[in-house]
Amino acid sequence: MLRRAKPLLGTLVEVAVSAATVELEWRAAIAAFQAVADVHRLMSFHEPDSDVTRLNRYAHTRAVEVDPRTYAVLRRARDLGRASNGRFDCAVGGRMLALGALPRTIGVGGHEAATWRDVTLLPDSQIRFRRALALDLGGIAKGFAVDQAVEALARCGAEAGCVNAGGDLRVFGDRNWPIAIRRPEASGELVPLAPLRNRALATSAGTFAPGGAIVDPATGRFRTRPKSVSILAPNCMDADALTKVVWLAEHPPLDLLERLDARAIVLGPSASVSESVSELRRAAG
Amino acid sequence: MRQLDRALLWLVAPPAIVLTALPAHATQYLSTEQAQRALFADANRFEPVSIAVREDQRNELKKISGTRTPLPLDRIWRAMRDDQLLGHLIVDEVYGKHEFITYAAAIDANGAVIGIEILDYRETHGGEVREASWRKQFRGKRSSDALELDADIVNISGATMSCKHVTEGVRRLLALYDIALKGR
Repeated sequence: MLRRAKPLLGTLVEVAVSAATVELEWRAAIAAFQAVADVHRLMSFHEPDSDVTRLNRYAHTRAVEVDPRTYAVLRRARDLGRASNGRFDCAVGGRMLALGALPRTIGVGGHEAATWRDVTLLPDSQIRFRRALALDLGGIAKGFAVDQAVEALARCGAEAGCVNAGGDLRVFGDRNWPIAIRRPEASGELVPLAPLRNRALATSAGTFAPGGAIVDPATGRFRTRPKSVSILAPNCMDADALTKVVWLAEHPPLDLLERLDARAIVLGPSASVSESVSELRRAAG
Repeated sequence: MRQLDRALLWLVAPPAIVLTALPAHATQYLSTEQAQRALFADANRFEPVSIAVREDQRNELKKISGTRTPLPLDRIWRAMRDDQLLGHLIVDEVYGKHEFITYAAAIDANGAVIGIEILDYRETHGGEVREASWRKQFRGKRSSDALELDADIVNISGATMSCKHVTEGVRRLLALYDIALKGR
């Protein structure tokens, strides 16, 4: 088992890989990091040449062609926007800019009332915005990057692997991986889960980021409920996006979770695990 | 309710105990030798470089970067292919409130960063990493003397690990390069 970690996506990205030979492990890990770096290059809100920056500058004036990977993420973001009644909204950037949660970039302005519905997917990887908006794929691209890295590992002939991008992770292969969720307080306690096999786990916590960096699309304000939401799902892109949906939801969106073969784990501020389950049950009515 | 039952299953599946105050979660990634090979694949030789830094230069570096760990003056190598200088490799340490990271940075012959590899990542909660005694126990430890058992490494989901301190550390290394390493 080769384990490497590199600073990418503004966090530490860890790749663990097991293959028939050491050479194969190295080749697979290099491909996995490259896949993550590609997603960073394409979908960063901050990189001046990323697809996201080009869209934010020009897509309200003309159709902009993007990389097929960016297009795939935008399509999933649209589907999840629809399925969550706008709880997941990749166009929330305008409201985040208004709150000072995203840095102002020259040439990027977002209409505060813009939503995911203003992002139009045209044929041939072309995107057009119905009005100026600040697209931000921060709530989904990290999960997608993990998926891309896992696919790269498999493509290179790895037998098993785990990719963990700062807490959003996915495991694959014929083995069980020990997994824990970190509590969202300074105590940093670890809550162990049953070992994970061929699944993804993503967590969003409201208390760690300054101001609680999740903006409620409904109100345009931060939600700072002190808890963390973890999602188990077949892929990390869905898991990543669903953490925000569940985090913002008044009631757990059980139908949506069911449809995506996902499960939610909600940790309260200082509640024990079992109390957290009753909290979830109470919340579900 | 079926989803809730399944969620419950996940939560109570063994071992559903809360580990309190896990003293030090640690992962060892690469040895210095592995990092050398990863960052300078074309090199066939690594020569240790020893440099000295004057007091005023030290103060200059302190101003440039918030990094407080000792300067890695004895962990610098020249990456050579035969007689050609490919660049330098520096193994450095940084720490945040809860984490202590050893990393290797590769700088090419023009002073640009080629790549970074994390060698060790160690964290503690309920304790400050600033305590020198806590950090000291890891000094000089490398993967070669690792007690690593893959089965015991827990993959953690949750609070995003920041790479802020590594970024600050690299900024200091680039300044160190300009002051003392350029052309050597």
